[in-house]
Amino acid sequence: MAKTKIIYKHIVIFLIFASLIVVPLTFTVVKQVNKMIAEEESLHPPGNGDYTQPHREFSDKLIESLVPFVFYILVLALMLSILFSRGMLISLKGLLRGSKLMKEGNLDIRLPIVSDDELGEVTRAFNEMAATLREKTLELQRKDTYVGAMVDPLWVVDAGNRISDVNPAFTRMFGYAREEVLGALLYDFFDEKNAAVIRKQIEEKRDRGISSIYEISMLSRDGIQIPVLISGSPIFEGDKIVGKIGIFKDFREQRELRNELQREKEYVETIMDSIEDQLFVIDKGYNIIRANRVAMTEAGGPVIGQFCHVIAHHMGKPCWTEGHECPAQTVFITGKNYRTTHQHAGPSGERKFHEIVASPIKDSSGNVLHVIELIRDVTGRMKHEEEIFNKNRELVALNSIAGILSKSLRADEIFTKILDRMIEMLSMDGGGIFFIDDAKREMVCQYHRGISEEFVKMMGRIRLGEDVPGRVAVTGQVMTTSDLSKDQRIERSFIKHSGMKGYCCIPVRGKERVIGVFCLFSFRTHNFTSEEENILTSVGEMTGIALENIKLYEKMRELYEHQRSRREEEQAQILSLSTRLGSAIELRDVMGPVLELIRNIFSADLVWLLVRDQKGNFILKSAAPESGREGKLIYANTVSSIEGYSVERRAPTVIADIRAEAKFYLASDIGNSQFQSVIAVPMHIGEKTVGVYSLYYLGTREFKEDELHFLKIIANILAVSIERSDFYLKAITEKGLSDTILQSVADGIITVDVNGRIISVNKAFSIMTGVTAAAAVGMPICDVFRYSDDNIDFRFSLGECFDDALNGGRMSRETFLTSAFQNRNAVLISATPVLDAGGGVSGVVNLVRDISHEKEIDRMKTEIIRSVSHEFRTPLSAIVGMTEMILEEDIDDKRAKKYLRTILSEGIRLSNMVSDLLSIARIESGKEILKLVSVDMEELLSGLSRSFSPLVEKKKAEIKYDVDGARYVVGDEGKIKQVLTNLIDNSLMFSDDGCRVHISVEDAKGGVVITVSDSGWGISEDDLSHLPERFYRGKHGQRIKGTGLGLSLCREIVKMHGGSMEIRSKPGEGTEVVLSLPRREMK
Amino acid sequence: MKKVVVIDDEPFILMMIEDKLKKAMIDVVTLRSSVGAVEVIKKEKPGLIILDWMMPELSGIELCKILKRDPEIAEIPIFMLTAKGQDADEQLGLRSGVTRYITKPFSPKALLEMVEEVMIVDKP
Repeated sequence: MAKTKIIYKHIVIFLIFASLIVVPLTFTVVKQVNKMIAEEESLHPPGNGDYTQPHREFSDKLIESLVPFVFYILVLALMLSILFSRGMLISLKGLLRGSKLMKEGNLDIRLPIVSDDELGEVTRAFNEMAATLREKTLELQRKDTYVGAMVDPLWVVDAGNRISDVNPAFTRMFGYAREEVLGALLYDFFDEKNAAVIRKQIEEKRDRGISSIYEISMLSRDGIQIPVLISGSPIFEGDKIVGKIGIFKDFREQRELRNELQREKEYVETIMDSIEDQLFVIDKGYNIIRANRVAMTEAGGPVIGQFCHVIAHHMGKPCWTEGHECPAQTVFITGKNYRTTHQHAGPSGERKFHEIVASPIKDSSGNVLHVIELIRDVTGRMKHEEEIFNKNRELVALNSIAGILSKSLRADEIFTKILDRMIEMLSMDGGGIFFIDDAKREMVCQYHRGISEEFVKMMGRIRLGEDVPGRVAVTGQVMTTSDLSKDQRIERSFIKHSGMKGYCCIPVRGKERVIGVFCLFSFRTHNFTSEEENILTSVGEMTGIALENIKLYEKMRELYEHQRSRREEEQAQILSLSTRLGSAIELRDVMGPVLELIRNIFSADLVWLLVRDQKGNFILKSAAPESGREGKLIYANTVSSIEGYSVERRAPTVIADIRAEAKFYLASDIGNSQFQSVIAVPMHIGEKTVGVYSLYYLGTREFKEDELHFLKIIANILAVSIERSDFYLKAITEKGLSDTILQSVADGIITVDVNGRIISVNKAFSIMTGVTAAAAVGMPICDVFRYSDDNIDFRFSLGECFDDALNGGRMSRETFLTSAFQNRNAVLISATPVLDAGGGVSGVVNLVRDISHEKEIDRMKTEIIRSVSHEFRTPLSAIVGMTEMILEEDIDDKRAKKYLRTILSEGIRLSNMVSDLLSIARIESGKEILKLVSVDMEELLSGLSRSFSPLVEKKKAEIKYDVDGARYVVGDEGKIKQVLTNLIDNSLMFSDDGCRVHISVEDAKGGVVITVSDSGWGISEDDLSHLPERFYRGKHGQRIKGTGLGLSLCREIVKMHGGSMEIRSKPGEGTEVVLSLPRREMK
Repeated sequence: MKKVVVIDDEPFILMMIEDKLKKAMIDVVTLRSSVGAVEVIKKEKPGLIILDWMMPELSGIELCKILKRDPEIAEIPIFMLTAKGQDADEQLGLRSGVTRYITKPFSPKALLEMVEEVMIVDKP
């Protein structure tokens, strides 16, 4: 078609030109010929017609023969020219086809170059153009793929801060379609507060060409605030900033986890500190690894790391050397809860009683990792009881609740790089970050909070070495002060009299030097704990690394500006690496793929990552391809290795031939393979060595400077990720630990949010109430106890305490709690507010302590007082009244003698009572020691029956005994005698005349059984259940005088011997008391 | 001269009171148990009853309530002589209609004075 078009044009043009040339030419020739003929004729005279005629015809003939001839020549010329221009047409046709294909999107075309004329040139140019286009398109496509495949959302904004592009992840995360957001102003995606944050970032950083990473909350399409980490960078075109690029990292999970951890920690800390008993967590070496506030206050010095017996009992020696069983040891052996009471000498030598509850913390396979000991000082209680017995006077009720509650909580352990978070975390009022301008040896505040712009201007530039920030920048040491204005160390300072009090200044440490400082201040005094200082230091280091990375990157960009495509590729790879590492908390699963990625980027044959433990040994964390030795020791700290060498040098180390370097020891993995060269890249955070990763090659490999930079950046990313992961893991382990503590506490614990809904309850709560944790969580706190109508008072008291705690108070109430199984116990409710970092109440911890034991002691005490007073008053009546009457001479001498006998016998009764009480008190206080001897029971019983003979005779009773089973029993003779005396006395007392008492001693499995049986009145079922209670006096107690202490004393003595006492009886059928004593051998 | 009825399960208390009052020419009837005491009191029509609180079978306070319910003998003053020394016990005793609450140990001399005071007031 084209061919014809061009040829037609060709012919038409030719014809026009031919006509233009041939027609005038012909006419000119004919005219000229005619003229010549006319001239010729004029020379000849007219009339010679013969000559004239042919001449006249000549011009016509000439025209006839000349025109076709000329025409033929012209046609011939036309044909020839078409023939010669054919080559040109082929080129043109090719170009045409090429353009068509290109239009259709095929960029792979290469046109043949037919001629070397201009057309050939054009074809060549066309080919080059197609190739360039292809490359560009591919590059664009690749970029699109990266951007499209990115997990993290991204946006690009123009110079006017309007969105010019977003990736699919952006739509996925925030819900906006791409078309919706194009052209929108980026501030529209934030609420007022966050918009201010991003505005500041853009104005102060991006518009000045600085990249930064910061946390912010962005509004999704549904109006939900999504926490994200934005990493923003300016886009340059030449020196001009034409836009910004922002990459978002989903921070929801992190923030939630952080919040949860924080909340958990706050709750657990509050719980631990609201326990007024000392609480310790002890490891297998019997060292204390954790303690609550009470324990620390009690110890009055450092607790962590000390031996448990030193702190808990003020003993230089372990418990077992003092004759006590060690509770921690018992729990480590048995794996079960253990409760005991120890008596120790206090710090100043006074006697102390400790009730100890020890519980195991087990791992998933049931091994006991640690032991929790709850130590309650019961000295007061024990002394109290003793006092009653010794002095026999009324006592005040035991008040065991002393309420040493925590003052406040400080959220100071959660790591964050961001100034705002630090301020929030340490409850500071503001802060700033200063960066060092090396050239001028000055620092300037670039980022601040809580201080005005004006103040920053006034502060201006701080010279290195001057004021606090300047000094910290020079020394590189963290500096903290509780009250800046009173600190003697600070003399000339702009900030000293600015009203700031609590102040800390942390160096922001890059890889080689301090690059800035980080300051936090408070308008109140603030004592920085060493723990806080540690956190501050690591924050400084982490911030430094982040900054260093940006700097390294910029340096690399400067050096290799021309290698754009390559850099982009690397950026994409780093991005992928960062994304993987950034989103993982548990590194174990991602480390492998990440190393594999590194292996691919650098085409290495083996990549492995070694971490350094506390002792300096190198442990294999991960390898690509997998080695199977993960978690194993690779190089001990004593061995010289390539990796160790690179860590010492603090720089990537390339060894071209590892076998030539004899000074390095090679691990078997390396030694057995044919690796030839290696590069080891150390990973540091500040001064701390995290580990090293190395790339092994079978052949040789050289590394260019840009590759080394790239490896360093990867090292930084890995280091920060490992550090962060370790931090998270530690926090999670701590949470597990705390949970166990929570569960092992004997008091019921209910944590409640500010709306009164239950967040968690512990095991003790479930045991006390019969309500499971699953049923309780989420319920309004007072509704949980609705199962019983008897709990109205309890609910009222709980409500009161809870309300008070919400207002920051700490109230406690004594009341009764009825369980779902209808058990009713006296309890003490105490509520403690959980304070967040800002001092606001974020929840309430309610402790429900079963004080029925205390109440029982109280009741018993009242009983003691009552019983003692009554029992003492009657014999005293005889002594006082009768003596008075004798003195008043109311009676005659004979009568007086009778009176005196009564006074004597009542006096003896009184004295017996006192000694019974004292015996029990002594045994319970642990002061009484058994004097073990081999007791001849035959002799003992015959003696006893002799001493009872007057009473036996009077009551016409009978005492028989049978010791054939076991004549000799190892025990405390005096005490066994006391037991039998009491029992025989009881038999004779609570019986009618003619009572028969039988005592038998028998050998039984595992020990000796002594049975005392009688044919007395017996004991009613009701009384039987109360017999173990001290001072309980049954139905017959009204008839027969006694202290209600006899059986209690017997029981205590038998218990002291490691045995047990059982009473079987039926009213009217007599009573049988069975004493089982363990067998002992006399040494 | 009216009589005094003394009820106590402790023989030596009875012995002491009997000896002291008889010396002051006051007639005394002693009982070791409160069981059957009402009949004795109705028969004897004493000017005063001295009661122990803690006695087996029927306690002094129960007996006191029974006596106060019976119009025939309700007017007779009652002395509670007991080892229960607490304020609450004393309040309970006084509410039950006891004229005087005396705690053991006691002075026989002081008791006699209190007895005489009641008997004299009753005389006219």
